[in-house]
Parts: sequence; structure tokens; C-alpha cells
Amino acid sequence: MQIKNGKDFWAGLMFLGFGLAFVAVAQNYPMGSAVRMGPAYFPTVLGGMLVVLGGMVFFRAFVSKFAHPLKVFTFRPLLFVASLVVGGATYFYFADSQLKDAPTLQMLQFTLVGLALFLFIGAFGPRSMFLILLAVVIFGYALKPLGLVLATVILIVVSAVGGHDFRKKEIVILTIVLVIFGVFVFVKGLGLPFNLWPGE
Amino acid sequence: MDFALIHNLGIGFGVALSLQNLMYCFFGVLLGTLIGVLPGIGPVATIAMLLPVTFNLSPISALIMLAGIYYGAQYGGSTTAILVNLPGESSSVITCLDGYQMARQGRAGPALAIAAMGSFFAGCVATVVIALFAPPLAEVALKFGPAEYFSLMVLGLVGATVLAHGSLVKAIAMTILGLLMGLVGTDVNSGIARFSFGLSELSDGIGFVIVAMGVFGFAEIIANLEQGEARDVFVNKVTGLMPTWKDLKSSSGAILRGTALGSMLGILPGGGALLSSFAAYTLEKKIGDTSMFGKGEIRGVAAPESANNAGAQTSFIPLLTLGIPSNPVMALMIGAMMIQGIAPGPQVMTERPELFWGMITSMWIGNLMLVILNLPLIGMWVKLLTVPYRLLYPSILLFCCVGVYSLSNQPFDVMLTAVYGLLGYIFVKLECEPAPLILGFILGPLMEENLRRAMLLSRGDATVFVTKPISGVLLGIAVVLLLITLAPAVQKTREEAFVE
Repeated sequence: MQIKNGKDFWAGLMFLGFGLAFVAVAQNYPMGSAVRMGPAYFPTVLGGMLVVLGGMVFFRAFVSKFAHPLKVFTFRPLLFVASLVVGGATYFYFADSQLKDAPTLQMLQFTLVGLALFLFIGAFGPRSMFLILLAVVIFGYALKPLGLVLATVILIVVSAVGGHDFRKKEIVILTIVLVIFGVFVFVKGLGLPFNLWPGE
Repeated sequence: MDFALIHNLGIGFGVALSLQNLMYCFFGVLLGTLIGVLPGIGPVATIAMLLPVTFNLSPISALIMLAGIYYGAQYGGSTTAILVNLPGESSSVITCLDGYQMARQGRAGPALAIAAMGSFFAGCVATVVIALFAPPLAEVALKFGPAEYFSLMVLGLVGATVLAHGSLVKAIAMTILGLLMGLVGTDVNSGIARFSFGLSELSDGIGFVIVAMGVFGFAEIIANLEQGEARDVFVNKVTGLMPTWKDLKSSSGAILRGTALGSMLGILPGGGALLSSFAAYTLEKKIGDTSMFGKGEIRGVAAPESANNAGAQTSFIPLLTLGIPSNPVMALMIGAMMIQGIAPGPQVMTERPELFWGMITSMWIGNLMLVILNLPLIGMWVKLLTVPYRLLYPSILLFCCVGVYSLSNQPFDVMLTAVYGLLGYIFVKLECEPAPLILGFILGPLMEENLRRAMLLSRGDATVFVTKPISGVLLGIAVVLLLITLAPAVQKTREEAFVE
């Protein structure tokens, strides 16, 4: 057997994975009956359908008349496995511990989850995607502690590095314009509750 | 002429012509044109971004503005398609073929003018179509029970998958994946937080804006960056907007046909601007002298541009009468209505006539504004096109992030959007259309609820879905649609159509 259509191969695997995961997790909830459906009923049915469809797409990869190479996008298995290890370990290690009273442990968990996430995102696709999504996540978590101005600077600069054509002068001007725009439109104009600077 | 219709339109104009609503309508169509012109940002991401802002508006102003963005984008999209050979909007893809050729022959002006005139005509007709057809449909919908609603949603989802690009199996799988993702969060009946992995942030479910912004907004930016930048703008060659008498004569038929086709296809579940423009172009290529197509045939601009505007507007019909979104933009409109505390459905028309008719009349006014915005001010929009993408995308990212964050002021939401951005990129690479996923995502909880209710009412007898007449007919149409698509002849043309 030879894989003819790489896109179908991966898509089939993806649907199979999602389907199985939803069915498996749904088994933690009561199933109910057809008359009184429990919370597990609908997801189990849908998950089962997804598994069947995923299987069809997967099978089609071997008989397809469209040829696509197996390498559809850059995939770094090492980072992928690493992200699963870090994420899984964090999930199980912190599952029962009381984090409310231990800020250091909380910080540690937060850092590890973040690391797992970045490893996961970094496992797929081009460099530009990693930098853009990195910029977005940092912006989200930096907005409150650092304030809108610094968070915007980080977002623009990091995401601009992700492009092909990084021009320092332009980015400096763009950042200044967008910071001013953000302060006046988002905060002053629309009244969004952002602090401008750290610790405000 | 129906007297009630005139009375209703009177109410509508009373609402839409108030200074405040005129202002929001103008703002909406202006913004719509802007994002239409700019490639790389579409109405879905823009409306998602603006949702939080509409908290503070009155419901009618909010809806008028958001609707304006959608049909405004159809006008703006043609400008980019004609001048740069890039679709400013996905529904303008087909306009590139002949529009850009016209621009290369120095006839960008007439192409732009015909596109705007066709859009305006289509907009006027579509407004009348909504006013005529929505009330009777809503009356039928009032008789719907849970079984009928369930079947209707099945039909809607089947429609969306049938009309999606590429593989049918993948489209169905994407729909189901969307339905499943929509189920994340607290189950209404049992109070159990499903698929939340103990995260309190997930117990309310995943926000629709997050999925839409990630899968459409972020993934699009990433894909654009991967492709690199190649633009050839005919900026200085727009001279003389007036089409010749010959242009007008040959395109008037195309405009009529495009409008009719677009108005019909917009109503279909899964339909809207994109499908309409493709269908209109295909139809036009089968009529009359076809030797000039692909070489600057004005009919190739007139038909799809009329059709996409008509389709964009009539896709409001299922939303306003049934409360069911037919495409991602309509799903966002539902979100906007819910933010305002309005449950979308047939009762909106009877309980809030000023909302319904105000929105419809605002569309006509908006179209008028758009013609003025697009024709005399074309130079301004053309200038915008010279802004390079490397400056554009960081700005778009900022707007997206601020939009997502301000939904509930949680960094977690922004993180989740990034994850959906990654997923969206993978979907694009694997040729899995995201549109059915989004529809499934919206309809997931609704579908489960109606399924449960219908089964409870019938005491577990699953045959109600077939034996109840309306429900049976709806399911029958869904089955026929699926069968037609699976027929070998259609499969073949589908493949060919999407290869083009």
C-alpha cells in the first residue's frame, strides 16, 4: 500500500483523532436513554460519525486519484512529542495539588503550560506562524500586567519579525502610530477597560 | 401593492432615517468598503472585532452597522479585484478574471463603474425581495416545533457542506467537528461541564468570536505571509469612469441575471455572496457571445458583482425569519443579536417590527451611500491599496487581539484564539473548508437541545422527524441535496468547477 494523497492521509488522521478523543472523554458523563438523553449521548453519536468519516478520508488517501506529497506542511515531530510530554506531565502532576495557597507552584504550572503550548505551536508550519501566534499569546497575557502601550509594542515588533521583509524604521513608525491609535480609540474613545502602563 | 408592506416600510424608514442610525449605517458601509478593498481581512474578522463595541449601542444601530459591513465589503472587494488582480474579498475571486484584464486594457474605470452600478441595482432588488418574502416565511416558521427545527438545522448543515469547496466527505466531517466543538461547556440539562478539562474558562463554552477570529482571521494572515507579496497595482490608470453605451447595453442583461441568481442563492442555507458570484459567472459564460471571457469581457464583471451583493443581502432572510444562520457572517449577526438580548427567530418580526424593517430599509440607504462612496471617491480607496501588507498585518493582528480580549477580559481567550489560528492553518493546508465547521459550531448546542426536546415529546420515537410533514419535507430536501451531489455527473463538474 502506498499513500497517494498526503492531504487526505493527515486529514483522515486528524478527524479520527478528534472523533476518538470526543467519544472517550464523553464516556465520563451519564449516557441517558434515547428518550432522556444524557450529556454523553449526542457527543458519542457525533464522535462515532466523525470516526467513520475520518476512516473514510484516511482510506481514500491510499486510492485517491489526486496525488499530493505526504509532506503537506512543516512538521517537527520532536517538538510535538516534547509538547505532549511537558503538557501531560504538568496536567497529571498538578491535578490534585492545592495551588491556591502556593503562588510559586502556580507560577511554575503557568510557565510549564505556556512552554507546552509554544512547543506545540512550534511543531507545525512555518516560522512566521510561530512568531505571529507567539506575539498574540504574549499580548494576551501581558496586557494586564504591562499595560496597553508595552503590550502593543511587543505584539507589533514580534509579529513584524515574522514577516519576510522586516524594515526597522517602518516598524518603529508603525508601532508609534498604532500605540497612539490604540490609546485614543480603544481606551479614550471606546472606553475599553485597559490600563496604559504597568501597575496602574 | 400590499398596503401592509408600505406601512411596514414606513416604520422601517422612520427608524433607519434617524440621524443616529444614518451615522452608524454610514460607518458600517465605510468600514465595509475599507476592509473589502484591503485583501487579507474579511467581514467575518471585522464583525467579530466590532462585536464588543456594540455592547453600548442600541440593538438597531448595532445591527444596521454590522449589516453594512457585510454588503459594503462586496463593493470594496471588486475594486481590489479589478485593479490588483487580488480578491479583496473572497466573493470577488471571480471578478479578477475579467476585471483585471479590463484594467490592463486601460478600461479600469468602466469596470469599476459597472461593478458599482450592478451592485447597487442588485442591492435595491434584494431589499425588495427580503421585504416581500421574509414575512410569509416567518409565519410558517412560527409553527415550528423542536422536530422541525432540528430537521431545518440538518438541512442547513447539509446545504453548507454541499456548497463547500472540494471533498464532500471532508466537508461533512468538518461540520461534525464543528458541532462537537460547539458542545464544549456546561450542558444545560444536567449542569455538567463537558470537555472542559477542569478549566473554569471553558465551562461557559468556547466563544464563537474566538473560533471565527482564529480560523478566519489569524489563519488568513499566516497563509498570506507564506505566499509572499506580489502586487501590480494599476493605480494611476483609472481615468474616465463612464462606461460606453455599448458597455451598458451588454452588461444590463448580465446585471439582471446576476441579481436574480444571487437573490435566489443567497436564501439557500450555506449560500451567500461567494456562491452567488461563482454561479453567476458560470451562467454568463453559457450565454451569448463567449469569445471575450477571460480577456476583459464586461459581462464577466457585471454578473458576479451584482450576484454577490444580492446574495449577501438575501442571506439575511433565513436569519431574520428562522433564526438560523446560513453562513459565518450571519452566525456573527446572531451573536450580535444575543448580546443585545434578542432571541433570533420568527418572533422578531412581530415583536420588534422596528428592528426588522429598520434593518431592511437601512440596507437600501446603505447601498445608496456605497455608490457615492465608491464611484467619486475611488481614488482614495486606490491609494489604500498601495499600503504594503507588511504594515497591514501587524495592525490587523492588534485589532483582532483587542477584539478578542475585550469579549470578557481574559488572556485565556486570546490564547485559545491562537490555538484556533494554528488549527485554521492546518485546515487550509489539508484542504478542509472551515465554513462548515463554523456553522456546525454555532448550531451544535441548538441542535442538541431541539433533538432532546423532540425525542422527549415523542417518547423516544425517532420516526417523528419523518412523519411530521414539515420536518419530513425538510429532511427529504436534505437527502435529495446529498444524493444529487453524490451523483457521478455532478461530482465531475464539481471537481472541474473548483479547479478553475
